[in-house]
Amino acid sequence: MLSQFSAIEGRSFGYWKLVIFLGVLALMGLGAFVAVEINGHGITGMNNKIAWGIPHVFAISLLVMASGALNVGSMSTVFAVKQFKQFGRFSAFLAIALLIGGLAVLMLDLGRPDRLLLTVMHMNFRSMFTLNVFLYSGFILLCFLYLWSMFEYQQFTKVIGSAAFLWRVILTTGTGSIFGVIHAREVFHSAITAPTFVAISLSSGTAISILLLVTTFKRTNRVLEDKVVFGLRNAFIFFTFLVAYLLVVEKFTRYYSPAFYDVQSWILTGPYAWLYLFGVWGATIIIPLAVLFNPKFGNSIGGVMVASFSSIIGTFAFVAHLLLAGQSYPLKMFPGYEVSSAFLDGQVATYTPALIEFVLGFGGIGIAGVIYLLGIKFFRMIPNEAVAPEGYELPWNP
Amino acid sequence: MTMDRRTVLGLGGVAAAGVALAPGLTLIAAPPPDKSEASGDQRWAMLIDVTKCESNCTACTRACRQENNVPLFGDPTRDIHWIRKLEIRDKDHRRPSVSLPVLCNHCENPPCAHVCPTEATFIRKDGIVLVDKHRCIGCRYCMLACPYKARSLVYHKTEFPEGGNPNVPIRAKGVVEKCTFCVHLVDDGKQPACVQACGHAGHKAMIFGDLNDPKSEIAMRIREVKTQTIREDLGLKPHVHYQGL
Repeated sequence: MLSQFSAIEGRSFGYWKLVIFLGVLALMGLGAFVAVEINGHGITGMNNKIAWGIPHVFAISLLVMASGALNVGSMSTVFAVKQFKQFGRFSAFLAIALLIGGLAVLMLDLGRPDRLLLTVMHMNFRSMFTLNVFLYSGFILLCFLYLWSMFEYQQFTKVIGSAAFLWRVILTTGTGSIFGVIHAREVFHSAITAPTFVAISLSSGTAISILLLVTTFKRTNRVLEDKVVFGLRNAFIFFTFLVAYLLVVEKFTRYYSPAFYDVQSWILTGPYAWLYLFGVWGATIIIPLAVLFNPKFGNSIGGVMVASFSSIIGTFAFVAHLLLAGQSYPLKMFPGYEVSSAFLDGQVATYTPALIEFVLGFGGIGIAGVIYLLGIKFFRMIPNEAVAPEGYELPWNP
Repeated sequence: MTMDRRTVLGLGGVAAAGVALAPGLTLIAAPPPDKSEASGDQRWAMLIDVTKCESNCTACTRACRQENNVPLFGDPTRDIHWIRKLEIRDKDHRRPSVSLPVLCNHCENPPCAHVCPTEATFIRKDGIVLVDKHRCIGCRYCMLACPYKARSLVYHKTEFPEGGNPNVPIRAKGVVEKCTFCVHLVDDGKQPACVQACGHAGHKAMIFGDLNDPKSEIAMRIREVKTQTIREDLGLKPHVHYQGL
């Protein structure tokens, strides 16, 4: 069943249309960066209460999905799920593409991006950001080595693949800890924030892999056996349950303590409740599970695609909710007291994202997309056909 | 010259290795020069007696703006506040409201410095927490970490204000800044502008001094009267104390 790999032809009008479209998105993102660089962040919707806005939502979501994209490869290399071995190259390459897209947005949104080199010249190892500099660059290195071993030195694939798997768990823990360690913010601060990031990277990484694999195989007229996709679907279902489990445990633990009643009630009823209920729960958990446990849709490729797409939207919603609700909720400087000031203390922060923030964010998607499309054109990333091993049967179907 | 794809992949790996390892070079680089010429013998702190702070008085905030060239942009969500006046009242409204200034607390364990990736935020030996505005990359992580909302990003380009203070630079676009305890005045043996202004306004609600000097007014007051700090539970050991809160 292990197929030969080949680069896609990439000569069709449709292919180049997509490359140009994503390239234009990337260029527009670059334009947005230049505009912010010249005019300052005053032209964005961010303010002194919501200091991280839509660009961060895009950047962090892409970083989370990048680490998750390695799942498919890890499942074969680390957990010996043979039918996914053929996607190892795709998996490692997609992880690199998404990570570069996410990092680009993160870096281009800095107040002084011209000083980026300072992050490697003066390092503060107590900062989660600094640790993440190592984690992200190390991840790219490991993915490259993983790719190289799959291309050239397959005797090292297991070792490097296992190291990459371990690294991606630490990496996503690092990303989640950017928020989890912030004691001042009630919505952020939790030991379970980082594991939830790991879980959501598993679900969203698998989801984006499903979407891209199905689309790529279909558009290049290659065979992708349904059974293989349904294997990914089964993993995706369990990852989604894992996200739900962690979200429930977090809510249960918080609601158990009266100290958190205010903030938790605000999350469920405040201005970002819609994002939490419809985005985090609806798009990440309920819609995918409802679709996948429907005997008709759950056993159709279309249904799996819809569930995957919903999960990706949900991942953006999860990051957006944590980030925006976390910053909007007033700091409790004087618990039990009402506070007011000219600096809007005691008030829930308002934030209206500017169009330019979305342009910058979509620029990151454009960069990741162009890298992916060019990668599969110039390298042998995709198998000629992807079929399950002989005699393989799915252990269960919804 | 042509390169085969394996070479391209290999070169990509080498580039990634470079990116991954470059940060590590600082591990073997020479230690950074001592950023602070300040003396570790002193520990500057502030005490604010809220019973003397008038609700309608903004002398401290105005003096801060004047001294440090802190502009107002006319947008409350983006205006820079190094010090601000808060009104607090109990939720049942049984007691009269209390007015007090809030500024950077110059914590002993400052979360802003902990999260700063480039060490742009640092603590001087005398305990003053400062931002090296030439090293700040504007990531704003410190703004998320500060429990006092004491930090502001400079969202717009600023210009030297009419009648501004030539001894202090203007605020830099794209950089996060905050109260310096008027370090330029403190180093000259003077009091921060807000403390001076409070005294000139006749309230004398703010005291600034050296906690390590047992004979200083602030050290004696903190020893003798009940004071508290904001969010003591966070373990940050803030050095702005409040009396009568």
